[in-house]
Amino acid sequence: MTEPNGVVVAAALVVFVGAYVLIATERVPRVQAALGGAALMFVLGATTGHEAFFSAETGIDWSVVILLFGMMVVVSVVKPTGLFEYLAIWSAKRSRGRPYRLFVLLTLITAGASAFLDNVTTVLLVAPVTLLVCSRIGVRPEPFLVALALASNIGGTATLIGDPPNIIIGSRSGLGFNDFLLNLAPLVVVLVIAFLAVARLVFRKAFVVDPAKVQDVMTLDERKAIADPALLRRVLLVLGLIVTAFVLSDTLHQEPAVIALLGAGLMILVSRSTRDVFLQDVEWETLVFFIGLFVMVGALVNTGVIEWLGRHVVDAVGDHYLLAATVLLFGSAVLSGVIDNIPYVATVAPLVAGLVATSDRPESVALWWALALGADLGGNATAVGASANVVVTGIAARQGTPISFATFTRYGIVVAALTVALSWPYLWLRYFVLG
Amino acid sequence: MEDFPLVTGTTDAFEATSLLVTRALPGLVVLDDAGLPLVVLPGSQVLRFLLPDYIAEDPGLAAVLPEADADRLGAGLAGRTVAELLPEEFGPTHQRDRPIVRPDATMMQIASVMSRQRSPIVAVVRDRRVAGVITVHRFLGAVLPQR
Repeated sequence: MTEPNGVVVAAALVVFVGAYVLIATERVPRVQAALGGAALMFVLGATTGHEAFFSAETGIDWSVVILLFGMMVVVSVVKPTGLFEYLAIWSAKRSRGRPYRLFVLLTLITAGASAFLDNVTTVLLVAPVTLLVCSRIGVRPEPFLVALALASNIGGTATLIGDPPNIIIGSRSGLGFNDFLLNLAPLVVVLVIAFLAVARLVFRKAFVVDPAKVQDVMTLDERKAIADPALLRRVLLVLGLIVTAFVLSDTLHQEPAVIALLGAGLMILVSRSTRDVFLQDVEWETLVFFIGLFVMVGALVNTGVIEWLGRHVVDAVGDHYLLAATVLLFGSAVLSGVIDNIPYVATVAPLVAGLVATSDRPESVALWWALALGADLGGNATAVGASANVVVTGIAARQGTPISFATFTRYGIVVAALTVALSWPYLWLRYFVLG
Repeated sequence: MEDFPLVTGTTDAFEATSLLVTRALPGLVVLDDAGLPLVVLPGSQVLRFLLPDYIAEDPGLAAVLPEADADRLGAGLAGRTVAELLPEEFGPTHQRDRPIVRPDATMMQIASVMSRQRSPIVAVVRDRRVAGVITVHRFLGAVLPQR
């Protein structure tokens, strides 16, 4: 690590805050802001090529980038199989056009898929078929689309690979796939049930349907969504292997990123996909955004800013881990409601890592879960709180049924407040009372 | 060059589509307010308008719909204008890449405009008025080697 002078530290801070403001306000595309900030960190001498590219502490977290890339390839191959169209239409027919039952089934599919796929991808997969079904039974699609985003953000909280903040937390904390599954998934099950219960009230106007149109949904043939059943079987087999490998990652002594990459390779092999197909859903901009972000945060670590902040946080927290977890949970939720939770978690994760590392108390691990829950669930509060929210509002606008910021927030803030509020007693009971 | 029906943004969408069908045209030349060709409206764009985005972009989803739905597609044209059928970027102020050639355009120039715009028709403009059009059928017929 280099020993930067005070001017470099101050300049690095200015660059970081400036880039953060640009990302938060969306004055420039976030990838430009992150790359611009990263470039300035190099120019200032706040980081070097060796530190940015090869250091585990102050460089690009390649395991996060590779894990995201691998899962994007997996999604690219799964998407054209028609699996999600099949499931959603099957659900619609099982619901016999009854809107609330349809809502429950679509929520369960979305939340379940979101635990293993990127939230944005899940929303993109389920939204088209949701629009079709809503048009079929004659209900307004906006509440269903909002619910998809909310359900994907809740479901994505359950696993290490479900939401990008969790991937960052997994990498920075050393917590594995099973740690996330055992610590967050049980709570997420409760949160989904709570969401479904409160949705009945919040979305009640969406559940009024024209009885004459209800049977229209029964004319859809979900089997025709599967163009190549043999391909689907092979893809499902590999998906099963990938999930099993994630669960056994500790036993296999393999990092999740390696499993995702090997899974992606196997997926390409068994599907015999061409480059056009298996790279179709790779969001290069997102990957580059992560790279720029890691360089910027790494530069702050390198210049000692994070360590300085960390010392103050450790002093402030002392032995009050419940208070720290509470502040982290609710503070992260509020901030994630208004700014992108990815840069937020990338910045806060080194601070939490410092706090946990200096503690010999087992409950300190609750800080990681508080950060994950706050950042993931808080994103539901507004239309810009999470990428999935932005995507559904875009889809709705293209269909001529725009969802305003106020409309999304009216639904989202209730669900975010409910889920975050339910998370606190869980953290308190599990880590501070039951230990 | 051949005579060809011309439409404007305010032309009734149903009438314009009927022209395409009854005269077996590859597309229609749409004029702007000044009477200059703005864009060519091909039949495929009419279909794009009639289908919701989520069906047009997902052939898998289109497969699950019953065939009877296709019979109701045409009803979507009722009360619409040609301007509504056009992609958003073709507003009245659209300037770039119009499907236009001058009367002295070479065959290679015509081919360039057609292929760049993926347009089955280009309009020949003389003195800021449409003198006629060249269809892709006529063009290919002229360049195809005789056997």
